[in-house]
Formats: sequence, C-alpha cells, structure tokens
Amino acid sequence: MKLLEIDGLVTELSDGRNWLRAVDGVSLCVHRGETYCLVGESGSGKSVTALSAMCLLPFARHRHPGGRILLYPDVRATPGERPGGHTEAVDLLRADEAFLGSVRGGRIGMIFQEPMTSLNPVLTIGEQLDEALRLHRPELSTQERAERVVEALAEVRMPDPASRVREYPHRLSGGQRQRVMIAMALICEPILLIADEPTTALDVTVQAGILNLMRELQEARGMGMLFITHDFGVVARIADRVGVMRRGELVENGPVGQVLQTPRHAYTQGLIGALPERLARAPRPPLQPRPLVAVRDLQVHFPVRRGFMRRVVDHFRAVDGVSLEVGAGEVVALVGESGCGKTTLGRALLRLLEPTGGSVELDGRDITRLPRKSLRCLRRRMQVVFQDPGSSLNPRLPILTTLIEPMRVHGIGRDDEDRRTRAEQLLERVEMPADSLWRYPHEFSGGQRQRLAIARALVLEPGFILCDEITSALDVSVQAGILRLLRRLVDEQGLGMLFITHNMGVVEFLADRMAVMHEGRLVETGPTAEVLAAPRHAYTRKLLAAVPRLDTMLAATD
Amino acid sequence: MTETASLHGGRALRSRSWSRQVLAALLKRLGARIGLVWIAALVLVATFAPFIANSHPLYMVVDGAASSPALRHMEPLDWVWLCGFALAVVLLLLPLKAWQRLLGWLLGVAACAAFAYATVSPPALTIYEQYRELEADGRVERLIRAPIPYSAKDYLRDFADTGIEAPLAAGDGRVHWLGTEENGADVAARMIHAARIALGIGFIATGIALLIGTLIGGLMGYFSGVVDIIGMRLVEIFEAIPTLFLLLTFVAFFGRSIYMMMIIIGITSWSGYARYVRAEFLKLREQDFVQAAVACGLPLWSILFRHMLPNGIAPLLVAASFGVASAILAEATLSFLGLGLVDDPSWGQMLNQAVQSSTFNWWLAVFPGGAIFLTVFAYNLIGEALRDAVDPHTQRTAGGAS
Repeated sequence: MKLLEIDGLVTELSDGRNWLRAVDGVSLCVHRGETYCLVGESGSGKSVTALSAMCLLPFARHRHPGGRILLYPDVRATPGERPGGHTEAVDLLRADEAFLGSVRGGRIGMIFQEPMTSLNPVLTIGEQLDEALRLHRPELSTQERAERVVEALAEVRMPDPASRVREYPHRLSGGQRQRVMIAMALICEPILLIADEPTTALDVTVQAGILNLMRELQEARGMGMLFITHDFGVVARIADRVGVMRRGELVENGPVGQVLQTPRHAYTQGLIGALPERLARAPRPPLQPRPLVAVRDLQVHFPVRRGFMRRVVDHFRAVDGVSLEVGAGEVVALVGESGCGKTTLGRALLRLLEPTGGSVELDGRDITRLPRKSLRCLRRRMQVVFQDPGSSLNPRLPILTTLIEPMRVHGIGRDDEDRRTRAEQLLERVEMPADSLWRYPHEFSGGQRQRLAIARALVLEPGFILCDEITSALDVSVQAGILRLLRRLVDEQGLGMLFITHNMGVVEFLADRMAVMHEGRLVETGPTAEVLAAPRHAYTRKLLAAVPRLDTMLAATD
Repeated sequence: MTETASLHGGRALRSRSWSRQVLAALLKRLGARIGLVWIAALVLVATFAPFIANSHPLYMVVDGAASSPALRHMEPLDWVWLCGFALAVVLLLLPLKAWQRLLGWLLGVAACAAFAYATVSPPALTIYEQYRELEADGRVERLIRAPIPYSAKDYLRDFADTGIEAPLAAGDGRVHWLGTEENGADVAARMIHAARIALGIGFIATGIALLIGTLIGGLMGYFSGVVDIIGMRLVEIFEAIPTLFLLLTFVAFFGRSIYMMMIIIGITSWSGYARYVRAEFLKLREQDFVQAAVACGLPLWSILFRHMLPNGIAPLLVAASFGVASAILAEATLSFLGLGLVDDPSWGQMLNQAVQSSTFNWWLAVFPGGAIFLTVFAYNLIGEALRDAVDPHTQRTAGGAS
C-alpha cells in the first residue's frame, strides 16, 4: 500500500542569482511497512529530495518547476479523527502551511544526521518531546502526555527513562541523543519516517544498535521509512528497496537484493566496485620490514582539574601504555571507535602533543625527550595527513608556497626553481594537474585537497607517514582513488604508514597489520587477515560484528 | 606572491589571493566606497594642505624676481607628508607583497622624516602680512595664490577688526568661506590643516595598538598555559586604566604633545586587539594545517605570522577600523576639553571655540563637528563593510545538496 509517492520531482535551489537543479525528475514510492533507501555520494541531491518531501527547504530559495509529492491517507485512523486526517492523496508541494504543519512531526517524522545539534541545548529532553505531543495531540492531558514521553523513551531503549526526562541534551552521548531524536520523531505515531543519514556521525557499535532499533520500531508499527545514506553496508542491513541517486537523478531503483547483487546501471556498479573491501588487491610479497617507528609503553594522560584552586584530582588516560611498531614498507591500521585515544596516540607519536610517559623511537633513536630544536630537523622523517580536507591546507597560501616552504626550511633543493620542479613531480605522483601549484585550496574538491595534503607530507621525503582518518570525509569513489594511491606510494617507496581509521573495509584493503584500540589500550594486534578472520579479543569481535558489510549481508539474504 | 610570479610567467593561470577577493568584495559595497572616498579625500587634503590653504603665495614675481614663498616656508612635516604620499603611490604600483609594501613605506617615511628634520629649515620668522602689503604697494607683477589664501595660523593682524566672523561676513574684501575663529584665523584653512591630526592620530595610535595587541595576543593564543594566564592579567590591567584620565594626567605633567597622545591612546587600547588575536589563535592552533606546519618542522615565526596570522586577521581589521574612529574621537574630546594642542588646529579644539565666547558660533560647531562626524562615520562604514567582506557566510551561498 502506497504511503508516499514522489512523482517526477524537480527541485531547483537558488544562490541568489542562479538557479541550480538539485533534483531532476526523481520518481519513487514508499510503501507501508517498507524501508526505501536513497543512496548517493555527496551532492547527489538525496537530502534535497527528503527536504522537498517535508517542504523544509529554505523559503524563497527553492522552487519546484515540476513533479508531485503525494501523501496517501492513513488507513489506521478514521478520517477526521486526528487533525490533518484526509481521505484523498494530498500533493504536499501544493498543500497550505496549516496542513503541512500538521503533517510534519504528526504524520511524517524526521531524523537528522547530526545528533549533537538537532536537540535544543537549553530545554530538557522531556520538554522537547512534550512539545511535539502538545502540538499534534491537543486532546491529551498533561498527565497522559508525561506518560507518553516516558513510554517513548522506553521504546527507544533509553536506560532509566523516567529520570532521563529531566536531563539536558549535553548529558547524553551521541547515540543516546539519536535515540531521543527517534523518540521525538515517533512520539506522534507518524505513518512515515524520513531519516537523513541518522547514523553517519555515530560509531559502528552504536550505529548497529540504532539500525536494529529503527528496523524493529518500523516493523512493530508498520511505518514506511525513507532512509538516506551513503553507506552500502547500511543499505544492505536495513533496506527493502533502494534508489541510487547521481547528480539529482535517480539512476537505479529496485529491491535491495537485486540492486546490490546485480546492479544494472554503470554508476551503481562503479559505486559498489569502489567499496574498499571490493577493491582489487595486488599480491604483496611477504616482506620482513625493518622497524622504523617503535612506540613503547606510551602514555598520554590529561589532568582532570576540579574546584576553586583547579587541583588535579585525577587523570584522564587517553593513551594508556601502548606499544606498537611500524616497519618500512608496511601499513599498520589503528582501529577504534571515537574517543578510544587513537588520534591522541597519533599526535603523541609525532610529538605534536607531549606524551606523559613511555617512549617513541624513530630509526632506533628515542625522540620522546629530544629538545625542540633537534626535533625540528627530525620532523622531515615523519609526516602527517589529517582527516578534515576543509582545514588540512592553509587557505591563504597557494599550493606552491605550501609545498615549497618546508623544502626551503629543511634545505631540500638547490634553489626555488629546483624546488618548484620537485613540487611539480610530486603533484604528478599524487595524480594532480601541474597547474594546481598556482591555485588556492578552496578551488579544490575534498579528495583533491587530501591528495595535496599527501603531497605536502611527501615533500620532505619522509620515512614514516601518519594518516589520521584521511578518507573518512570522502565519497567512496574518491576514497578508492586515494587508497590505491597510498598503497602504491607505500609499495614503491618503502614508506612506513600508520593509518588511523574506523572503516574495516579500508583496513582490509590497505593494511598489512592492524591494531585495535579500546579505551586507551591496544586490545589486539596482528596481521590484518588473521585479525579480521579470527578476532581473539571480545571487543574486536563486537566491533567487527557491528560493521555493516555488504558481502556478509548479501550472503545472509541468500 | 612574488616568488610564484618570478618563477612562472603564466600569470593567467594563477588564482586571486584571499586579500584580493576581500578587496573586491569590499569595493562592491556602497558603504565602503563612500567611506573610502571620504578618507581618500582627507588624505589628499592633508598631504597637499600647504598648496590648498596658505598665506604664502605659491608663485610670485616681485620686482622682476620670481620666487615661491609657499615652498620656502614648507615645514619638515609638510615634506614628510608629501614624501610619504609619493612613496605610497610608488609602492602600490610596484608588484610587491603586502608586508613588503608596509615595511618599505614605514622605513621610507622614517628616512624621509630624519632627512627632512635634519636639512629643511624654513625661515624662523613668518610674516604672513608681507605679501598683502607687497600687493597693496603694487610691487607684485605676477601672483599665484593658493585656493584659500590664508594659513592656519595667519591671524590677519594687518586687518583692524580681526576676531570672530561668520562665513562671508568679513569686510575689507576678505572672503572666508567658513568664517573665522576667535583669533581671526580662517576656519577653512584651519580645518584643512587639522585633517592631518585626525588622520595621523587615528593611524598611528591604532598602529601602535595593533602591533602590541597582535604580538601579545598571538603569543597568548599560541602558547596558552602560563603565557596565556600572565597575558590575560596584563590585558585586564590595561583594560582597567581609563584612557581619558591617563591622558589628562599626562597632559598635566608633561604638557601638550600630539605624539604623547598617539602613544598613550595606542598603549591603552591594544587589549581589545590582543583578545581578538588570542581567540583566533586558540582556534587556529588546533587546525590541521597549523599542526601540519608544526609537523613539517617550520620555524615558530613562520607558523605564527605566515600560517596563523593571515587566517586570523579578519576580525582584527574590522576592529582596527573602528579603533581608528575611536582614536579620532578621543583626540577630539581632549581638544574640546581644552587639553589638546595649543596653537596647532584640531577639529575638537575648534568645536570648543564654538561655545567659548558669549554667543554660540554655529559655523565653528557645524563644520568641524561635521568633519569629525563624517570621518568617524567613514571609518565605521568601512569597518561594517569589511566585516561583511571577510565573513564567508555572507559571501558563500547556501543550497549545497546532501
């Protein structure tokens, strides 16, 4: 039974001067009790489609030159019993504000991506849940509403819901906030739930819990769900039907098994083929890496201060006794969930952060207690590439200056002419056009900026590179290119690389060995294939089980 | 960057730098254009003041001998202004980096000042009346006067009834477009010369404040910890000093000096800039490109001034343009209170004269008051436009998809 039908939707957005077509003739249909997944890379128009369905696009900045969005009546309730009830299918694009107001939150619930900002920080979660009820169910008494709120929180498995009602959002973790968001979206018993990347900002173990919860609630209530994501693993876990979007168009549409296993459109085939676990791996000769960087019993403790005199009452052990070795010509992946201390470990390893205890050896030489001056000369041996492509390059300097300055400081190259030639060769190695040298970072896409950041790291001819989640902000197809590039650089130049990530697919493709980190400690280390196939530690098993993976899901459905 | 230009001929490939983008965005705004036009007009007037309002004729032939009394009576300060202006024009035409231009200009002006004060010595005794007497005697064959033929300190002693006169009300065939003040000097001439004080105090006081503020704020923000704690206490101490009373005290002890005022306004108003820079640096320090610069082993000065400062300069520029306006107001306030300069004209001091005599002299209130208002307004307009121009949210457009 149809719930929401999007028919030839065209959405254009304005930047004040020009109109840009963000959604171009998308037609799809969400049925009762069915999850429709809209997949696509960033900029494909999947969020705009969802926002169009809710009529939530910025006022006077959008228009719909064509298409209809039909909301079908709710068969559970008799018409007229609840406000906003209707017997005919209504075109939301042409409905008035009053009707839309009753639909949003009442008949269509919505969950957004960022749990940290989608709750109001100055209201308790109880008040925020209550507000939706007060608006859409005015017939309920205060007492009934309070009961409903607690019920709703219990339904999304909040521990101790009765007392959580009075908590403010900042007291909750990301996963708990997303549960509150789900409770809020569901409290008025909508017939359709629109979820825009609800688990993207969450850790995999938390994500697994949220996905299970959403699936269960949907089945229990017979809701329709429009689920937007970029992650094929998530699609495989939750979807009944899938639509693949590209540049505003729906290029493929069908049942999940069919789309994922035998994709018809070349773009879908490319996307699925670009998943890191699907990338072809060249056979690597077993090498006996000579140790390059060795971390011994490294500790980074942050003091916890309390009270008037800012006394140190305790230490937060971000990194608590980690020992790790990275050899030349090998990639070691450091895996863990957010807050486990993997980034802190990386920064302490480069001495961007002073470790509290333990030692870091580079080429057999302890650099933990070197004075800054002698450390500066050693810095060219170890380089770093960071996560956020938006801030990894100095926005005020052209690429040439960014690349040449470190060379000049470390005395690489005879003169600037020579250094420029080197910079050009380097750009070629990271597969960027030579005229990039004269451009500024804002002119490049995220993937290009990460390539430039890699070039900046390579400029000093280092032996060791730390990569801190460098592909996690990128689309899969872009990520695939960067991963191949990294592997090639490691294989050709015998670099040692520590690759921090939370993506198991990336680990599988890239890493020779992997280390799993949990609460500041390494719980398991070993060759990638072994750890993935037969995890020994309970946490590793839990982590691997939570990762939504296309292949295992497909195998399960067969 | 010139290094890229010198290395590579193909300039067409290069993109616009951030400063050029900001400049373009700034010039798009009407407020900024109005403000900049007014400031530019003030700079021109201040630079060429001796040629606009001067009792000494620009060119004169007396008894067959040609001379230029205006040039002969130019003070060292007049030469410094002219040299500074010429140097600024030359540096703007040369393809240099912003910091090279600034440094070159400062050094050049300092050299000019040293040279001018060492060599230029105008006649110690200035007799403004002599030219009018010569003319009355009929000995002048050719005479080119300045558009306003009165100096700022020409009190017209040769006329019988000197004193305060309304615009265009003076007798003896004299034309005072904006009237005269209580000693008989021409208001228009005094206002033109006072433009120098307004510009000078604004730029030098703010320059001093910016320099101290950036340095202290930058160190606080980058090092944080103990440096930050000490720096913030210093900021609080300076914020607790009331500038006006400090100025009054200094004027009482050391007499009246425009340079003293500039320095005192400068060293009491840096704390705001220090806070801005500190906040920006605290934020920037954690940015990936700064961490990458540290990881590249770049020297501290490069990290601070090449990678961090240009990225944190936006709020500073905005604050500075408002700071210039408030420095001008501080000087005007002091002068209005009668604690400004004794003999040199300033707009605030002229305002004071408007209410000093028994009658209210409207022309002494309207014209200098209008000039103060317009100048402060112009700087505020520029500041507002700059704030919008450097703010990416008003520039960039929304509407990104998923």
